[in-house]
Amino acid sequence: MFLRMLGESFVRQRRRKLLAGLAILLGTTAVTAMLALATTIGDRIHRELAVYGANITVYPKADTLDVKIGGQTLRPTTGGVYLHASDLEKLHGIFWANNITGLSPELDSSISLGKLDSVPPSPVPAAGFWFQHNFGDAKVKLITGATQLHPWWKLQGSAPQGSGQIVLGATLAKSLKVGIGDRLMVLGVSDVADPVTVTGILTTGDATEAKAIFELSTLQQYADLPDAVSRVDVSARTKPEDAFARKDPDTLSPKQRDLWYCRPYANSIAYQIREAIPGAAAEQVRQVEQSEGTILERISGLMWLVSAAAMLAAAVAVSAAMATAVLERRTEIGLMRSLGASKVRIASLFYSEAGLLALLGGIVGYGIGSLLAALLTARIFGEQSGITLRVAMAHAFNPALLPVVLGIALLVAIAGSTASIRSALRMDPSAVLRNNA
Amino acid sequence: MKMVSEAQRQHAEAMLEGAAPVIELLGVSRVYPSRSGVVHALNDASFTIGASEWVAITGPSGSGKSTLVNLLGCLDTPTAGTLRIDGTEVHTMGGGDLDRFRADKVGFIFQQFHLIPYLSALENVMLAQYFHSMTNESDARAALDRVGLSHRAEHLPSELSGGEQQRVCIARALINDPPILLADEPTGNLDAANQRIVAEILAELHANGHTIVMVTHDPEMAALAQRKIALSHGKVFCHPVSNVVKLSQ
Ligand SMILES: Nc1ncnc2c1ncn2[C@@H]1O[C@H](COP(=O)(O)OP(=O)(O)OP(=O)(O)O)[C@@H](O)[C@H]1O
Ligand SMILES: [Mg+2]
Repeated sequence: MFLRMLGESFVRQRRRKLLAGLAILLGTTAVTAMLALATTIGDRIHRELAVYGANITVYPKADTLDVKIGGQTLRPTTGGVYLHASDLEKLHGIFWANNITGLSPELDSSISLGKLDSVPPSPVPAAGFWFQHNFGDAKVKLITGATQLHPWWKLQGSAPQGSGQIVLGATLAKSLKVGIGDRLMVLGVSDVADPVTVTGILTTGDATEAKAIFELSTLQQYADLPDAVSRVDVSARTKPEDAFARKDPDTLSPKQRDLWYCRPYANSIAYQIREAIPGAAAEQVRQVEQSEGTILERISGLMWLVSAAAMLAAAVAVSAAMATAVLERRTEIGLMRSLGASKVRIASLFYSEAGLLALLGGIVGYGIGSLLAALLTARIFGEQSGITLRVAMAHAFNPALLPVVLGIALLVAIAGSTASIRSALRMDPSAVLRNNA
Repeated sequence: MKMVSEAQRQHAEAMLEGAAPVIELLGVSRVYPSRSGVVHALNDASFTIGASEWVAITGPSGSGKSTLVNLLGCLDTPTAGTLRIDGTEVHTMGGGDLDRFRADKVGFIFQQFHLIPYLSALENVMLAQYFHSMTNESDARAALDRVGLSHRAEHLPSELSGGEQQRVCIARALINDPPILLADEPTGNLDAANQRIVAEILAELHANGHTIVMVTHDPEMAALAQRKIALSHGKVFCHPVSNVVKLSQ
């Protein structure tokens, strides 16, 4: 009976309820968009960014003559100082080890390369990478490598697997006039000649396109640099950089330093990597992250304001709608009283109606708000950071937000209708049922 | 075999005990504040109504008839005096208890029916069950059948004639089998034919032992009652002694 009453009376006074519902919808849309931007999307996009590229780069400490342009480190291939690939295992032991989502060591060197029939082979720059390398340990599974850390690379064919296989940068392949499946002769530093098969052509959009690319260990052999690595790109899940993140840990008080250390800032993780790997320097790669952090900060203040205003407006609209609704139905309320209905039961009927309205408005508002958040994210971060509308959409709907948003909608509806419901119950039933009422 | 209703039981008891009063007023007043002092809607009323009595309340407009009925139905509380209904001093009772008491003891029949417009006839009757205890569709249908409306059970009030609406209202009033029926001008909005139907239903309810207090302007209706209580300016000024004992013999 209660449900029947609720259902039937819910569809009455449609215009008024539509208005109140719309107000709730707008309010929850704003709140959802705000919450999604402030929490979920920010978070998830960072995770996504980690997948979209490195945010920390590690290189030998002595090698400080780096020139960084647009996040790419340009350096002479004859650095002379190397990291040890075997030391990378130590990354499993750092505080934020679990936040490391990808790792790509690179060895830059040069080899001589020529066609099988042409003599002699000419020297070309070479790079060794991990491809599909198992960097997991007992606790975590992690298959990682160059293609994960450089998602914009386009590899035609397949990655080199061990000795005997080579991938050519697109420009190198062009100048050698060779394609996938062709066989070449490689001459290493120890003058050992090896025939190799071209398994792929790599387009990177940078200097790597001119290089001969090998599996890391293969190039270490040819270059006679066992265990050597020129640099390592790391992608880690990080907390957006804030003022605290930029602090120099060595100037902080011990307590503050602990706090800094235990937050997954890119800076803290880089610091931990420096600690773990002997002779290593590690730095945050500043891509979109920084600007992104401040934008989020800037808009979230505004969004809070808009959301609060929207919810307040919703509460006012609900209370206006409920006031007239209750006024129109005062004889109905009087009648229920005459049938012995307690105030609590009548109140619960009206509250349920308001609650239902809130749930409906809230659910739709949640949907629209999530889409809005996705739209805003795609707009703010832009395509170049790899966050297309599709990516943003995929992350916009956070189920954890739904109960929060519905809770807020319910609260607003209840707050908005309390005054009129109370006044309805204060009405004298004998007066409203009076003959001339 | 038919179940013995609460009203019938009371009726039987009343006959045994010699008409124990079901309603007792002792110096009951209801005063409304107004801009020019106060309005004595009901002024120092004292009388009793016996179980199973059918009483008509008459008087000019504004004499306090509706005020009296609302007091008897515990929709309103007296500003002074003692009001005892079915042995309970209701003027001392609080809101929640009054709601319960009202659901149990009285059924209202209104001049303008006060049916819920979006519920069917059947559901309007079931609403009274819902607020009383539990809904029971077959009981509700039986109540509609009793007022000759079983074929209109699924209709909305707007699809019913005035007379039919009033019969739904009566079915609703008696669905919980209250001992007391309060009717404020039950035929005020009805034509002669429908008035007759309602009168017949009330007569039947009276015969079944319900106590009926009926406000009416209509002398014909008033004549059906066993006793008249006349009101003027809030004062009860004429109430021939109860003849319930005489009649029920
Ligand atoms: N809520 C109220 N506030 C102030 N005065 C009231 C109120 N209700 C009733 N009155 C006054 O009390 C008096 C009695 O009213 P009541 O409705 O009982 O009369 P009635 O006999 O039922 O009249 P009618 O035959 O027109 O229905 C009237 O003078 C009315 O103006
Ligand atoms: Mg009246």
